[in-house]
Amino acid sequence: MIQFSKSILLLFLLALAFSACDPTTNERPLGVYDTGILIMNEGSFGANDGEVIHLDPSLGTLTPSVFENANSRPFAGLLEDLVLEENRLYLVANTGKVEVVQPGDFNSIGVVEKDLDQPRSVVTARGKLFISDYGPYDANYNTPSSYVAVVQGLDGGVVKKKIPVSSKPEDLYAFGSYVFVAGSEGNKVEVLDANSELTFKTLDMPGQPVQFFELNGDLWVFCHDDQKVYFVSISKSGLSQQETSTFPIAQATGRIAKGDADTFYVLTSSGWPDYQDGISVVSIGSGTLIPDWKKGTGFYGIGYDPDRQEVYLANAKGFQGNGEVIIYQKSGAEVNKLTVGRGPSGFLFR
Amino acid sequence: MAVHAEVLDRFAAGKTRLTYEKSTLARYSARSLGDLLQEMTPIFVRHYGAGMLASPSFRGTSPGHTAIFWNGIPINSISLGQSDLSILPVKGIDRVEVQLGSAGALFGNEAIGGSVHLSTDLQKQQGFGGDFSQIVGSFGHYQTSFVGSYGKPKLRFQSKVYNQNQSNNFRYRDISRAGAPWELQDHAVFKQRGVLQDVWWRVNSHALTKASFWWNQAQREIQPLIGGSTRDTQADESFRAVIDYRYQKKSAVWKLKAAWVADQLQFNAEENQTSQGLLGLDWELPSAGNWAIRAGARGTWLNAKLSAYTTTEQRWEAYQSLGWQEGKRISVSINLRQLAYLNEIVPFLPGLGLDWQLFENSRTSIHFKTAFGLGLKVPTLNDRYWKPGGNPNLRPEKSQNGELGFQIKQSGTFSWFQRLTYYRMQVDDWILWLPKGTLWTPENIREVHNQGLEYHGESSWTTGHWNWEAHLAYTYSSARDLTQEGTQQLPYSPKHQGNAGLQLKKGYVAFDLSGFYVGPRNIALGNSRILEGFSLVNLGLTYSGAKWKSLQIPLRVQVLNVFNQSYQVLYLRAMPGRSYQLNLTLSL
Repeated sequence: MIQFSKSILLLFLLALAFSACDPTTNERPLGVYDTGILIMNEGSFGANDGEVIHLDPSLGTLTPSVFENANSRPFAGLLEDLVLEENRLYLVANTGKVEVVQPGDFNSIGVVEKDLDQPRSVVTARGKLFISDYGPYDANYNTPSSYVAVVQGLDGGVVKKKIPVSSKPEDLYAFGSYVFVAGSEGNKVEVLDANSELTFKTLDMPGQPVQFFELNGDLWVFCHDDQKVYFVSISKSGLSQQETSTFPIAQATGRIAKGDADTFYVLTSSGWPDYQDGISVVSIGSGTLIPDWKKGTGFYGIGYDPDRQEVYLANAKGFQGNGEVIIYQKSGAEVNKLTVGRGPSGFLFR
Repeated sequence: MAVHAEVLDRFAAGKTRLTYEKSTLARYSARSLGDLLQEMTPIFVRHYGAGMLASPSFRGTSPGHTAIFWNGIPINSISLGQSDLSILPVKGIDRVEVQLGSAGALFGNEAIGGSVHLSTDLQKQQGFGGDFSQIVGSFGHYQTSFVGSYGKPKLRFQSKVYNQNQSNNFRYRDISRAGAPWELQDHAVFKQRGVLQDVWWRVNSHALTKASFWWNQAQREIQPLIGGSTRDTQADESFRAVIDYRYQKKSAVWKLKAAWVADQLQFNAEENQTSQGLLGLDWELPSAGNWAIRAGARGTWLNAKLSAYTTTEQRWEAYQSLGWQEGKRISVSINLRQLAYLNEIVPFLPGLGLDWQLFENSRTSIHFKTAFGLGLKVPTLNDRYWKPGGNPNLRPEKSQNGELGFQIKQSGTFSWFQRLTYYRMQVDDWILWLPKGTLWTPENIREVHNQGLEYHGESSWTTGHWNWEAHLAYTYSSARDLTQEGTQQLPYSPKHQGNAGLQLKKGYVAFDLSGFYVGPRNIALGNSRILEGFSLVNLGLTYSGAKWKSLQIPLRVQVLNVFNQSYQVLYLRAMPGRSYQLNLTLSL
């Protein structure tokens, strides 16, 4: 009887131990914003009214002012980028701060609010934050003192070092201890060592590099100049350029969305005197180009929902008030039109 | 010689006017024109912080839709097309007249929402006069000023010198940070100094002349937005000079006006210089029977040298005014103006007004007032020439304004005055700067319909040795953008505004209590963010009994924002809480 009881007890303890190790019971429940689509609203210069809107695409419901509602304070900045890494969501304000929030409920975890000038993006590597920053303007509105700021820890804090980089760094990408920096004005990708916090290598690009992405496990960077766009693949191991796909798309704005497979949607703007905006669609593998997939005015951001296979086009509507998001099927057919906050500029699909 | 009052008095029948003279201006002697207009008139002033840019919005129009004159010359920046009311110190002004509604025919360019007329008036007193005033206030506020005057029957001088410093190190809640901690405002220092000189000379029995000169310099650290860390600086410097010559023979009056205005604005390291020369000639019959007639022409030469462009321009205008008056009963004004710039003749501007006394007895009078006018704004030089983005093909902005109202006046031991005005306005071809790809460029895009009600009441009475004066004003303003879906209210156009005041005087002691309310306003088209309304109360106490020999030593204590309200006029622009001012004057 005692033996039996001991066996039962053992089984019970084992069951308890296993249940305690069961990953499903220990998993953080999904937050409201862990699903759906986060719409970045950059806000208006001089008003600093950037914010995030959440869209539930299945119900079509929009939740405005997500940051302010969660934290009872305004974001108070121009929202430049939204980066999800290491189970944290980073809200980069080009007015000089990076807010760190929990992705599920947007509750604040921390902030980097001092010693930044015009931050553009952020990446995590080796337990640190790397923040690309234009640096201050000089008397001629150039940015000769651009840098990547380093913050120890992932939850915000103080800037411990500024690594000088070429003018106007944009997107960042981390692989192991390498941090790749898209140096847009210098037409180069700089590679930093996340451990030593020094520049490790510089790669010359055919145009202005602005956006990194992964394709079939490889690192690619999107570059553009006045006449063409370039998709350049970079060897992660050899840290060198591999191949380049070039498309004759003039006046690309630097905003792109990766669609299915190797398809990309590229925003263009003709400038003076026609001021015509557009979307061109390219396929890197086949070299296919649809130059005028859409045409219009006020295009300010683009995204692609891989689950629903829909293209999201943000229209800033002149920053006079609420902007607009138009959702298209891949075929180009319009699905829906949403009124969103001021200066919609990008999307994060959860 | 009052320069603009004459035009307003004779040819502005039916229009809504507000006048502020020395007694009111004295209460604002350490403050700016922006503070006065916000607290006393139906105008909404967009304050970008303490001592920072303050721009007026009349009847829901934009800051550039307000013409501002000093001694009859337009002083709006020709590159920006507007004025910063923060750097127009009340200390330098002897009289402020505000006219509401489009009056392009009477005042020319930019009088779409209304116009503000600042003037310096020389005292008629003989001999020497003057005062020295020192003001000390909260948040590092110091102002020293000197006014000296000398008068003879044929010659008068007035000199003013002022120097003002505001550290603006007030405490505010940083609502961008967790817990909204109290912070000390940093980088908002305001410094201003200036010199004014007026000379009045009666040349002979037919002719007199007045010359005025104003140099003003302001240096500012631009207050960053809450949560921001910008470190911009701005320096403004203006030279304004005007000479008026008036010659009267029999009933005809000739008026010659020559003026020069030069503005320099340095924003960080960027320098912008503009100047304008003006020459005008008027012929007038002030009273030919029931008629008053005026005709004139004016040429303006503009010169701009900015970091983004350099240009010159000439403008020509001809105008005519007719006034007809039958005693105090009926007064009619007809104004006409034609303006041309570059090689373009812009639309002809007519204006019409009527004052009609419906009833009068020994104590009471009732007037009906109505006016109709067009307004126009030539696109600013920045709009047309800024590189990159300037649009040389812009058309002038145009407005139509109609208003009607009643005013009742009652005199006696309890005298009062009440006026209610309804206005309706339409502004077409409103210019907006819009992003086009990576570039911003202006377009004639907006069409706006405005309408509203303006109530103004004042009264005065005596109880024993106490003299009381009170005023109350309320404005309802709808300004709807017809070019947007749902015709939305324009940003920063409060629908509701009001102000009230009470002055109490007994012997040498005077007490004043005033307050104003600004209603909720959206910060952009649509209602995505609405700033709460706010109301502020100010208190003042003046003792004018202190004397030493012939020297009078009035003393004034003032408390602004008595209830220490935390408020923003514009989103994320911190404003100071309660502050104190002590004003000591030595007056001859």
